[in-house]
Formats: sequence, C-alpha cells, structure tokens
Amino acid sequence: MKKYWIVIIITVGFCINGFAQTYVTKNGMIRFYSEAPLEKIEAVNRQVNTALLTQTGDFVFKVLMKSFNFEKAMMQEHFNENYLESDKYPEATFLGKITNIKDINFTKEGSYPAIVEGKLTIHGQTQPVKQNGTLEIKNDAVTAKAKFNIFLADYKISIPNTVVNNISKSIEITVEVMMTKLNK
Amino acid sequence: MKLWIKIILGLAIAGIAAALLIYHFVINKPHPDFEKIKPDYSLNAGAFYNEFKTSKENAHKLYNGKVIEITGRLSRVESADTLTIAVFVFNQGMFGDEGIRCTMLKKFSAEAKKLKPDGIIRVKGYCSGFNDTDVIMEHCSLIY
Repeated sequence: MKKYWIVIIITVGFCINGFAQTYVTKNGMIRFYSEAPLEKIEAVNRQVNTALLTQTGDFVFKVLMKSFNFEKAMMQEHFNENYLESDKYPEATFLGKITNIKDINFTKEGSYPAIVEGKLTIHGQTQPVKQNGTLEIKNDAVTAKAKFNIFLADYKISIPNTVVNNISKSIEITVEVMMTKLNK
Repeated sequence: MKLWIKIILGLAIAGIAAALLIYHFVINKPHPDFEKIKPDYSLNAGAFYNEFKTSKENAHKLYNGKVIEITGRLSRVESADTLTIAVFVFNQGMFGDEGIRCTMLKKFSAEAKKLKPDGIIRVKGYCSGFNDTDVIMEHCSLIY
C-alpha cells in the first residue's frame, strides 16, 4: 500500500475536485545541516519528488537517502551505512497538507505564509510534523520553502559515543521545491 | 644524541605521519571518481527500469549504491538549477513521464545538452534508487 501512496493521494484529490491543479517537481532541494562542537555537517539532495494539490492542500514529497551529497566522502559513507541505514530504509517521505490552502491565491503572484501539517518518515520511523513555511507564486510556478529542526532520537538514529561530539542531536532541515503545473 | 631521545623522536615522527595518512586517506578521502570507476553492471536502460518497476525490493538490493552503465534511447535533456539531467522515458504515471533520470557530472553538462532526443546513448552513473516514479542515477558520464 505504501508503495502507491503518491498515486492514492493524487487520485483522491482528483476525485474530490475534478479541476484540481497539481504542481510537481522531480528536482526539489532538501538540505540538512548539523553544527556540533567539533564539526559542521551539511548535505544536499536535489532529486526530491514533490506534489501539491491546490484544491485540497495535499502536499507530499519523497527523498532517496543515497541522493544526499556530502562534502566529505567519509561523512556520506557513515550517513548511509551507520546512521540512516540507507540499504534498509532507502527513502524518506512526507505526507501531509497545507492546512491554510484556502488563504493562498494561486492565480496571484506573491509570497504566502503556509502551515504544513503531516507525517514525516525517516529511518523507518514516522513522526507528526507541523511547521510554518512560505509558498511563492511566480511565473506559473510555486516554490515551497520551509526550515525546521528534527531530533535524531525521534527517528531512532543513534550516534556512537566515539563521534557524539561531532554530530548534533538535532539537525536543521531546509526544504526548497519549485513546482510547475502538471500537464495532463 | 642519546638513544632514548632518538626513540621518542622516531615515535613522534611515526605518529605524526600516521595521523596525516589517516586524515588524508580515511577522514578526508576524496569521493570516488565516477567517470573512471568500472561499472558493476552494464544493462539496457529499459530492462534496468523494468526491474525496478516489477520488483523494487530486489532491484534495490542489486543496484542501489552501485555504478551502472545503461544504454538506451534518450527522451530529452532537462536543465534544473545547475543540474543537467538526461531523461529516458518508459512510462506515463500520475506525475507525468516516468523512467530513468541521469544527473550528469558538471564536466559532461555541455556535451549532454547537445544530445538529440531519440538518439541511442550510453551513460554510466551511481544508482541511488527508485522513488516509485523514476530510477535516479547521479554523477553520470557519457560513454562513447
């Protein structure tokens, strides 16, 4: 069932409202940043699949863990092999809604505050998330931006004692996805 | 110089050398050179995509994190931000086109942008998985 989550969300959206507009991208960006006493760690993923239904506010994204690129090869290895266990949990997903979607005028250019609420799954663990972000409407494109912190412990990501000073217990996640209208 | 001083100096130099080597080859080791690395698998692009589409888990076990060389008919080349992406389309889904998306190494961006759709090309890159719509390949190079 999980496999078809995107299809289900979008299908439901279309059924609820036949003229719902869907915005999508396959090249959204998610960055995470961790600042610990001994080291700063930053990684970027520019292959984020994202969809937004303007009528319902349904907002989903999916990220492949092995698409995160680090400055240092060793950090990337540890991230995939030891912390996120990317072979076992190859993807992270967000499945939720922009709860104030009715306040956003997709036909008028501008920057709108957005409240995003949903479930974030990382490392096989799902946690509820509620964050503020913005939606920028410009040139027929919608750019969603948000910045928030997550705690590694909430997602059962354990850090060995030997490197506990190198990695912060919480990491900052920055999301920036520019979506365009899906032409059916 | 007394023997014990020589021993201490020798150990200190050996220790510093070991620390430098560990830093260079382990902590600060460079990313793999994906252009030069030998592929783990050489496959037809359509067959590669179908393996993920029909059995995602099995294909993940086989190909995720591996360097794959694929040969297939190019559908188009996209530019997104600073990325250049060679796209092979095999299916139509709720997100539109589905297939294989190969993000090119910067060195191959200009060359990739000159490629004509419908031409048969060979691409080598790192497979980071299947996101239910596309197989994602990164650090890709063109093979002639």
